[in-house]
Formats: sequence, structure tokens, C-alpha cells
Amino acid sequence: MRKNIQKLFLAGFLILCCCQVWAQTQVSGIVKSLENDEALPGVNVVILGTTRGTVTDVDGKFNLALENGENTLVFSYVGFQTETIEVNGRSVIDVNLVPDIGSLAEVVVIGYGESKAKELTSAITTIKSDDILQTPNGQAMQALQGKVAGVQIVSNGAPGASPTVRVRGIGSFEGNAAPLYVVDGMFVDNIDFLSPNDIATMSVLKDASAAAIYGVRAANGVILIETKAGSYDQKGEITYDGYYGMQNPQNVIQMANAEQFVRYVNETGAPADIAFVANAMQRFGRSRVNPNVPDVNTDWYDEVMEPASIQNHSLTFTGGNEKTRYSIGGSYFDQQGLMKETRNEYKRLNFRVKMDAAVTDWLTVGGSINISASRQYVGENATWFQSYFAVPIIPVYDDQNVDASPFNLANAQQIGYRGRQNPFYSLLYNDNRNDIGKVLGNFYLDIDIIPNRLSFKTAYNYSLEGRNARNVDFAFNDGVTDIVSAIRRENITSYDQVWDNYLTYNNSFGSHNLTVVGGYSFRSEFNELLFVRGTEISPNPERDMEELWFLSRALNIDITDVGDANNNTLNSQLYFQSYFGRVAYNYDGRYLLYGTFRRDGNNKFQKKWGNFATVGVGWVLTEESFFDVDLIDFFKFRAGWGQMGNDGIRPAVGAPTIEESETAIDDVLVAGRVLRPTFDLIEQWETTNEMNFGITARFFNNQLHMEADYYIRDTENLAVSIIPPVFRDTERRSIGEIRNTGFELMLDWNGKLSKDLSYSIGGNVATLKNEVRNLGGANGLLAGSAEFRQISLIGEPYQAFFGYEVAGVFQNEAEINNSGYTNEFIADNSLVPGDFFFKDQNGDGVVDDQDRVVLGSFFPDLTYGFNIGVSYKNIDFTANFQGQTGHSILNRKRGEIIFTNDTNIDADLANNLWRGEGTSNQYPSAAGLRKGWNQNMSDYFVESGSYFRIQNVRLSYLLEQNELFGATMPDVRVTLTAERPLTLFDYNGFNPEVANGIDRQVYPIPAIYTVGLNVKF
Amino acid sequence: MKSYKLINYRLALAVALLFTASCGDVLDEPLQNEAIAEQTDYTQSENMILMLYGAYAEFNALQWETFPVIAVRGDDVNAAGDQFPLQETDEFRYDRNFWMYNSSWLNLYSDILRFHGAMEEVDRYKEGGANPTEAEQYIAEMKVLRAFEMLQLARLWGSILIPETSQPGDLFEIELSDFATVMQHLSDQMDEAIPQLPSVHPNQRTDVRGGVTRYTALAVKAMVNLELKNFQAVADATGEIIGSNLFSLASDFYQLFKIPGKLSDENLLELQYSDFGNSSGTRTRYLWNFFGPSSWTPAVAGAGGGWGFYEPSVKYIKFMLDRGEQTRLETNVIFTPDGIAEIQSDPNYATLPPFISNVSPDGDVFNNHPRYNFLSGKHYLPSVQLTQGRTTYGENKNFTCIRYAEILLMHAEALVNGGTNSTMSADQAINAVRARAGLTALSNATLDDVIDEKYAELAMEWGIRFYDLVRYDRTDELNYAGRTYNAAEDRYLPYPLDQQAILPQLEK
Repeated sequence: MRKNIQKLFLAGFLILCCCQVWAQTQVSGIVKSLENDEALPGVNVVILGTTRGTVTDVDGKFNLALENGENTLVFSYVGFQTETIEVNGRSVIDVNLVPDIGSLAEVVVIGYGESKAKELTSAITTIKSDDILQTPNGQAMQALQGKVAGVQIVSNGAPGASPTVRVRGIGSFEGNAAPLYVVDGMFVDNIDFLSPNDIATMSVLKDASAAAIYGVRAANGVILIETKAGSYDQKGEITYDGYYGMQNPQNVIQMANAEQFVRYVNETGAPADIAFVANAMQRFGRSRVNPNVPDVNTDWYDEVMEPASIQNHSLTFTGGNEKTRYSIGGSYFDQQGLMKETRNEYKRLNFRVKMDAAVTDWLTVGGSINISASRQYVGENATWFQSYFAVPIIPVYDDQNVDASPFNLANAQQIGYRGRQNPFYSLLYNDNRNDIGKVLGNFYLDIDIIPNRLSFKTAYNYSLEGRNARNVDFAFNDGVTDIVSAIRRENITSYDQVWDNYLTYNNSFGSHNLTVVGGYSFRSEFNELLFVRGTEISPNPERDMEELWFLSRALNIDITDVGDANNNTLNSQLYFQSYFGRVAYNYDGRYLLYGTFRRDGNNKFQKKWGNFATVGVGWVLTEESFFDVDLIDFFKFRAGWGQMGNDGIRPAVGAPTIEESETAIDDVLVAGRVLRPTFDLIEQWETTNEMNFGITARFFNNQLHMEADYYIRDTENLAVSIIPPVFRDTERRSIGEIRNTGFELMLDWNGKLSKDLSYSIGGNVATLKNEVRNLGGANGLLAGSAEFRQISLIGEPYQAFFGYEVAGVFQNEAEINNSGYTNEFIADNSLVPGDFFFKDQNGDGVVDDQDRVVLGSFFPDLTYGFNIGVSYKNIDFTANFQGQTGHSILNRKRGEIIFTNDTNIDADLANNLWRGEGTSNQYPSAAGLRKGWNQNMSDYFVESGSYFRIQNVRLSYLLEQNELFGATMPDVRVTLTAERPLTLFDYNGFNPEVANGIDRQVYPIPAIYTVGLNVKF
Repeated sequence: MKSYKLINYRLALAVALLFTASCGDVLDEPLQNEAIAEQTDYTQSENMILMLYGAYAEFNALQWETFPVIAVRGDDVNAAGDQFPLQETDEFRYDRNFWMYNSSWLNLYSDILRFHGAMEEVDRYKEGGANPTEAEQYIAEMKVLRAFEMLQLARLWGSILIPETSQPGDLFEIELSDFATVMQHLSDQMDEAIPQLPSVHPNQRTDVRGGVTRYTALAVKAMVNLELKNFQAVADATGEIIGSNLFSLASDFYQLFKIPGKLSDENLLELQYSDFGNSSGTRTRYLWNFFGPSSWTPAVAGAGGGWGFYEPSVKYIKFMLDRGEQTRLETNVIFTPDGIAEIQSDPNYATLPPFISNVSPDGDVFNNHPRYNFLSGKHYLPSVQLTQGRTTYGENKNFTCIRYAEILLMHAEALVNGGTNSTMSADQAINAVRARAGLTALSNATLDDVIDEKYAELAMEWGIRFYDLVRYDRTDELNYAGRTYNAAEDRYLPYPLDQQAILPQLEK
């Protein structure tokens, strides 16, 4: 110990010595850009062979002292070629830096470091702050929709809900198969907590070569997020950025109105349903237009939805001096939900500080704190379901329903229906609140051991997240039944930490350039959960008495809804240890070789350790001396192979377990135990091997930029669910193998027509083919529910929709008799005209489980996006478009009729039902709709989800720095944005974006129109 | 030199940090909250009974759709409500695609496999030193629960797979057993169970009040042997139950199916539920909504109704009126004004006895509803019997599975079919039931008398009527109100489409 302290003193002394400067010669000068002769501030000027140097000031000036023997200065600046200049006794050196070709000089953030873009062998797409802020949304990932080939974003319209993100198809079918997000070194599952204003860059590591250094977390893709930082020697800057706008419900599905509904009901011939209509006429009167229709025509979607506001305001302070830099920011985001008459909102407050300080010339320390506090009021999701199904022949309020309280809401039970239907019970009598607080802290220490050669970085990240949910059900009477109040509270606290330690070695030997990284990482994830539900709150909760909504005021506790664990992903204590390394080598910038290795250990699975390696190679054709084609500025072939894991699946002990249960015996609640005979056997993570071939090129004086990639992604040990015989359960096993293959192409053209007019055109397209390769010996695995079957068949997409193929609708008796069905089969199924003609695939005269075929997949075959941009003087215009084709949606809403007849149907169906010979070959008759035969899973329920969307249109005007009354006015930019103003699709639903392809209740995706303001002081 | 040392120092710091980061053996930390069965400490004998409680929990957690699939096909009851699969089943039009078939199949089989699991666990406790008598008794109880549910399975599908272990995967290796084989298997199982069970009334048990006893096992044995027409075995089993003198018919037939009837002296097996006397909060319940009225004016305002899916048939009501029944008709059938009018529309029934009313004895008023004219009174709980504050239909009511009246009538059925037993004669058995119903005694009872008596007494319960008619090929009775029963095809339901896809044995 004593010895250590001595060492420390010695070290301290040495450091001080080192900091002393013996001035010998002074050198000064100005650094400018060769292109436009403008001064360049912030250029690094370093004395070769030392760590000493300086940075140019605002006017591009620098001043340095040289010691004896020091003669060479290195000028480096992002976006410019590095210059090395011999001083040779001069005291003034002015330098003109040459801009580097295109953005290839850009430094790209990669795992545990950074790399020059031109030296990459992998597929990485970087999105910058400006592109992210183009989209008025609280969740930054939404901004990527249609912009990155191979990244599918499925929007979610609910306030504060995050979009589904898929990188190169799906390699996992558990959890949300979301990519890993690394925020300044911290691993997080989503970035909902971040304000888009906090983000400087997002790097999407698409292929294995890029992502594999994240080992067991990499298989779903990795997205690296760098939060905004200041710059050294940067003048302090204050930026306000904000917008205000409205969200308008889009593509609202038209349901049958009262007249269409009554027509349909009459056609079913169902006496009860016809009687309900009669009851409605008796209760609410007859329509004057059509006396056979009740005088009520409720458009439920219209009743429950209204346009809602969205706004964001942020303030950022950035700056730095020679030794420190900072970025401090705060922002407020508020998104109202589309539901009326209920609290439906998301608001979030973010604060962050990021500081870096060069303590000595060999030691840099820094850190950041990001605090996110959000509150979400979740409108009862059942509202959407109920709005679809509620019959149009009851009003919202019914004065005759005098017993109902506190409001006289109409109740469909009073005209005969089984349920009360009216969605306003969900809207008015629920309040669901989530409070989410998250603190993300990061601290790092960067030691230059050998200047410019060997450095060491240690970084510690900690994330604390608390989620506090409170769901209150108000007491009410629906005119028939008294319902008591209830309150449910749930707390989830998560404590995660990551500690990274690694060495980076950089050197060049002639034309050989080498970077080596090696390190160790420790990570832990703890989760705690607690929930309690109580009933009969005293006094009865009311909206304006929120201060009394407490569990301690509940008369009874529902002990079947009290606990601290629901499954083992919550209440877990997981540990991970990793060793990782990376080697990047290039010869003369021409031949590139890249490799990473990671060894990951965990306590989550029985298999403790896994190794993940990758190799990438690149050949920059344009660097070859023999290559000289004028129109091609840069051309690189890339290829990579790598292994990655996905540990985001639920671990499983692989043995039958004992579960707790309870029951009443002689009016006493008794706890018991039940053996769960089935079990999951998930002894390891899922493993993905990927091959990627790509080309990066620039043509026509760097005006055209192309990235093309082809990949084959094989996932094995895929956790799949097996349906056991006769037992209501599924068993998970690591036996699946699937392949995702795809081609991705991105093209960007940037042109300048005159000094004032420039434009850009870009596009991207990605194909995806998902194919099941192996199921542990089985030929197929059933999935989904028994009524709406999905299947994974070898050679077909995973969990494809599975059922009968509709060959048409029987128009007459003759068609039934000529259907090829046996007479017995026809009689058994009582087939009549207006019923579906299901294709008898094997021609045996009966339609049975042998005749089921794959009807479609929820994976899009093709996703695409394109954009145009025009800048004229101070006006900027951009437009983005995107779409996808080839994916199917199970219209589960239409399928709900299997479980109850008591519902409304959509207008398209109501209007186009079979009504006699030649009327429809698409839909059955009204009566047929209710028959079991027509309710068989078939492609009647499976529809195309293809869509095309105008994603974003944006117009902005910049008022440049002017003097007003002698004072300098800040730069002001005013922006008008239309987000998702138009979506085109054929699907008979609200919204063609359904993450898992099963549309039962989806929050509508609104169009958003905003006015934005950006002011820089 | 200085510089060299400095670099060394920095390197040392870096290396030190690099290696101190390595933590202990955290990778061996276990997963949280996973109780692996084989890690159970089977020497803790006091935990053995938890497996028994768990088995009863499974048994009590009967899903709502299972019962109607079992019970809807007789001429005592019709499917009402909006459930197409149920209506079709009621009219003998079966479709293997019906969700209710798959669901009922899974519900019954899942319970059966879980009972096997519980038996296997109890065996391990026994090996671990638990009281072997207790262990054997628990296993015997589970065998009885298993048998009751497997009887229902076989009644629905005829030939089924008889599981031997808790493992669903083992069923791939098992061939179908036909109906008779299943019944014989269950009878043998009961023979194994009977000696292990306490010879008390279920409501006299102190450990699991209302649980299975020797007499429950005898009752199930009688039921499966009745299906086999092995009448002597039925007579023996029912005779022993009767001879125990532990069981008696409840004096108040109406209240037998209400709260006062919970764990009545008449009941041999019940699904138990409770609201634990609290106005809200924890409760276990059957989904009684299925039977409840869609429109009523309850005596206690704000009491909830139901879906009205289960409607006694006009045929049954007229049968009861013809017999001059009051006690049982009043209890078994709830009338709506439209229902009364429907009966009266037949000139033969234009005048109805005064007790026929749409107001229940407890003052609940049943209003008209387009989907039904009658409701099942056995599954009705008067609003005045709801615990103060509770509003869900039927809450706190038990669900009767086997009761003494059925035992007496099975006894009579066995004897008129040639079985012999000295405990009680067929006439005595049938007349005991008739007396409670306020009917006069019969003499020289015939099979017809027994079948009619069962119809009158056990209507709406577990499809007993349907299975009686099928057993004696009296299925002409099922051709009523537009129905056509085809004896060759309609006795059993088709295997659910999905189960066929999973189990190749089920392909015909």
C-alpha cells in the first residue's frame, strides 16, 4: 500500500514535469480551406512525435512553440485531408487544407471506437441530427422510417409508444427482436427516454462485420447513439429548436352506418338480431329518411377521436475552450392522444450535461448525465376494439338510461346485445398513468499511454429506471349492473450497469496501417417488480379527486393480483462478462482487413460462454494506380462474415416446474401447487451467421453516392414454440433455423445548379426473403391461435398465415354440385350459394386439414424510400416517400365474428356481401358470414398490407444574421412540416402497419402538421 | 527516461483497471424465481398436500365453454345466445373447426395431464418419507378427478387417447382407445382408488372439505359402468353409497342449487367457488354469466346479468307440465313473459298453473329477450343471495357435478336393467327422488319410468339426458324442434382440426 502511494506521488511528479514547456521557437499562421478560402476554426495542429499541439481559433489562427529538434506539424480536420508540413525555421506557416473526397473522410462511430468511412469493410448507415429532427416525433427511431435500406420501422400512433424496429428482417421471434441501442456506451433496449434533440448521430450497424463486436447482443442489429457534445475552442452557442403541430387521424376505416348495418342484419335472417334493431327503433325512434332504420347513426370512430396537438421545445448550450468542452440541454415534448374524453397523453422532460476535459496532455476525462422524466396517460386500448365492433344503432348518451351513473351512457344490453358495447365506458371510466424516470450516467477516463499510439479507456455507465404504473377503474352503473372501483399499482425498477475497459493501439509502418483494440467489459441488469390491486376505493374515485386515488383507500385487496414476479424476464438479476478485440489493417488505403472477436459470458443460460468472431475485407479499386476512370471517384468492394448472438430471449430451465395456484375450498382461499409438465428448454442464445457483400462508390465528381449490399443471415438455435398434443401450452425449444436474405441499395445524388440553387435526390430499396430452414426435424410447426392458424414450414416464411384458399363464392347450386366436393361433404356442411368455395387442394372431395396452404407472411418482400430536396438561397424544401409491399395482414377484426355475432362490420364488407348470383365473388352472404364453414381460416381473412406513403414534406426558410436597431439578430429558421400526409393502401383496416401482422386493435397513425422554429444565438 | 517511466505508469494504471474489472463468479448466479420440480425437497412432507390443493384448483377452474359442449345436445336444453358453434352443436351439425371443440378438448386433457403430474409428485413425496396412507389417498382423489373429466372427454369424442403420464409428448406413442375401453379403464381406476379413500361424506372431510371420498369414487364407477351397461357393477356401487347412509336428498330442491346448497348433504362432487365474504376483491368463480339473463330486473338493483346461452327446451317444459311437476319445474326453469306466451300458444297448455311466472321465488323479474325465452334455474343465483357489494351473476355459488339424486336414479336404472342389490329397491330409489319433488310413489318402476325421472330430475346437468338417450338408442327423442339426429354420425364430435394436425392417430 505504502509503495503504491509512493508510486502515485512519483507519477504525479512525473506528470508535472511533463507539463513544463521549454519554449524554443514560435510558429504561427492561419489555416484556410482551399475550396473557398474561408478560415477554418478548430483544426488540430500537432507537433509530430509528441502529444503537444493546439487548435485553431475562430479566425483559423494558431500559435505554437517548438522545442529543439521538433520540425514537423500535422494539421488535421474532419472533412479535409491531413497535411504534414515541415517548419524548416519558418515562423509563419499558412496552410490551405484540401477537402477530402465526399464524406468518405468522415469518421464513423463503430463499436468501441471510430473509423474512417473509407476504411470500413462493413455496412453502416449514419443518421445525423438534422435528419432526425426532420420528423416531428417523440421517438427518434421513427425518423429512420424509409431512410435506411434494410431497416424496417413500424409506426405506433399511441402517445409515447415506440415504433417497432427491425434490422434486416427478423432473426428472433421473442420479445420484440429489437436491435441493441448503445447510448454513449450504455446498453438499452429502446431509446424512448431520449429526446431526439439530444442525439448527435445514430449509426446503424447492419451487418455482422460491424455489429459482431457486441457479441451476444448483436444479432438484431446494433444502433450506436452519440449524444451531442461540444467542441474544443468553440464559441458558446445557444440554440432553441421547437415545433408545434396537430395530429389528424388518417385513413379511418369506414364502418357500416345504421342503414347498412340494418340491411346486413335483416339479410342474416337472425331473428334475435332483427329484434335488437326493432328494440332500437322502439327506444330511439325511427329514422325519417328510412323508417326501417333506428333514428340513431353513430360513427364510433368519429365519436372517440379528435385531432390532437404535438409539441417539442429544446434549448441547447454548447461550447468549449482549449481544454474543456460542454453540451448542456433541456427539452420538453408533449404529445396528446387522439382519444376524446379521457386522459391520453405523453409528456417528457429531458435534461442532459456532457463534459469532456483534457486534464493533462495524456489524460482526458468526461462524463454525461441524461435525465428523462416522462408521464404517460394511456387511453384504454379496448376503445379501438369497441369502436370497431359497437353497433351504430346506439347513441353515445341515452337519456332513457336513467339508472346509469355518473353519466347516462347508452348501453347496448338494453336493446338486447350481450355487451354494453359503447366505447365511452372505456374512455370515461378509466385512468391509466405511467410515470417513468430514467437517469443515465456515464463517466470515462482516457489515457494516452504512448502518444498517438496506445491509449486506454475505461468507461462506466449506469442506468436507473423507475416505472410506476397506476390504473384506476371508476365505479359506475351502466343502467344494468353496478361496477365497483379498483386501483392497480405496479412498480418496475431497473438497475443496469456497463463497465468497459480497453486499450487502443494505432500505428503505421510505411503503407501498413494498423489499429488494434482489446478489452474487457462487465455488465449487469437487475429488475424489480411489484404489483398490487385493490377494489372499492373510498371515496369512489372521481376525475377531479385524483389526490385520493390510493391503494390504501381500497376496501379489499385482490390477492390473486398481488405479486412481485410474472415471468423471469422481470425480477431478474443477470450478469455478463465479456472480452473483446478488434484489428483493423489496411495497406495504403487500398486493401482493407478487419476482424473482431468477442467472448461473452452470462448467467442467463445453461451455456455460459460464447465466442463471436467476424472477418471483413475490402478493396478500394480507385486507389489502384491502374485505375483511372474519370467518372468514378471512389469504388470499394466489401465483404464480411461474422457471428452474432441474441440473448434477448427468455431463458428456460429446461425442466418441469412447480407453479403456485390457489382455489377456494370450503370458502377459504387455499394455496396449492401444480406441476407444469411441459417446459421450455432454452439453454443458450440464438446465433446468427451473416455474410455480407457490398459496394461503396462515388461517381460524377462525388455527386452520386451509392451503397449496395447483399446479405445472407442464417439464424440457428432459434427459440421456437412447439404446440404439444392435447395440452394447453406451448413449449419453447432452441431448434429453429431461419434464413433472411436481402439486397439493399442506396443512391444519393447531390447537385448544384448555381451558387444559389442546389438539389438532392435519393432513394433506397431493400428486399427481404425470410425462410424457415430447419425445425429440429419437424416439417412444420403450428403457431398462432387454433382459429387463426399460422405455420412455420420448411422453405416458407416463419409463422406464415395458414388456411384454406378461397376459390370464390358459390353463386348457385350448380356451382356447389360442380365444386368437386363429395355429395356427403356438401350435405354435411349444408353448403348453399353465398358460401365460400374453398379450394380442395388434394382433390379428395373434402376440404380438411390436408387442404390448408400458406396464405401469406407478415414480412414485406420489398421496402423502399426516396427523397428529393431543393435549396434555393434561404429556402429549403424536402420530401420523403416510403412504402412496402408483399406483406400480409390477418384482418383479425373481421375474424372476431367467430366469437360473437353481436358486432358491426366494416362498410366495405357490408356493401359488398354476396346478395345473389353474380353480386360478389369475394365475400359470403350475410347469413354465410355467421356460418362456421365461412369462418374457417382462409385468405378471406388475410389481406395484402402493401402501402405507399408520403412520409414527410418540409419547407423551411432561414432568416440570416441581420442587424436590427444596431443589435445582431440571431439566425432564425422557420419550418413547415407535414408528416405522413398521405398513405395509400387497399387493406380493409385502419393502418397497414401491423408489426406482427395480426390486426386486432391498432392505435391509428395520425398525420402530423407542424410549424417549427430554430433560433441560434 | 522520464517519459519511459511515465508511460510505464500509465500502462500499469490501465492494466490495473483492466483486470480489477473482472468480477467474481457472478455467472453462476441462479435464475430468479424458478422452482424446478426435480429440485423440490421431497422430505418436506407437509408440502405434499399442496399438490392436492393444486389438483382441486385445476378441477375448479373449469372453463366456461367446456360445460355447454358437454351438456347442450340433449332435448332438455337448447343453445341460445350468439355462439354459432354451440347452436350448431345443439342441432347436431358439427364442424371440426369450431373453436369450442378444440378449447374443450384442451381444457379437459390439460387438467388430466396436470392430475398425472400431481400424482407423480405425490409419489415422490411418498418416496421422500411422507405418510404413505395419506399419499395413497391423495393419489386416489386425483384419480377420481381424472376419471370424471376423462368420462366427459370420452362422452364427447368416443375413442380417445388415455394418457399414462403427465408428459403430453408421450401421447404420440399412444393409440386410440374406444369408448368401452376408456370406460373399463376408468372403472378399474376407481377400483384402485376406492380402498384408499376415506369413507366419509365429502362435507365431513376436515383436510379438504368437499373433496373426493370413497363415495365419489363409487359414483364415478357407477357412471362409467352405466355407460358400459354393466348394471351389476352400477348396482353394487350405488348400493354401497346408499348403504353408507351418509347422503340424503336436500329437503329444499330450490335452495340446493343456491348458496345454502354449498357442500350440501346431497352433493358428492362440486366445483367450489367463493367470494370469501368480501364485498369486492379476491374471488374464485365459475363464469356464470353464460347462464345468466340478458335482461332482468333483479330484486337487488345493480346485480349483473349474463349472456343467456343456455335455454331449457319447450319440450322439457311441456314434459314437466304433463307430469304435474311444480317443485322441479319451478326450480329448473326460469320463464320470461314471452316464454310463458310461447307455451300458452299451444292450445293444450293455454292454462298454466299459477306458479309459472317470470318472477322468481326470490323476487327477481326476468324480462323478454330476443335470444331466449327460458333460462336454467339450476344455474341461477337470486340477486338477494349475492354478498353485499358483489354484482357478478352467480358469484359465490358452487357448481354441482354429482349429487345423490343421480346416484338413486342410477341405482334404479341398474336394477330395472337386471342388476341386483339388497340395499334399496328400484321403486324405493325412484320414489325417494319423486317424494322430494312432491310426486306420488310409483310401483314396479320400468326403465321408461327411470329415464323419465332422470329427465325430470337431472335436466340441464352435464348432458345426462343426452347420454341416457344415446345409451338406450332412444334418440328419436332428439328429433324435436326441427332437429335430426343421425345415430351413425352424431353421437361423437369430430376431433378438432388442430388436434388432428398434431396427433396422426386422430386421422381416420
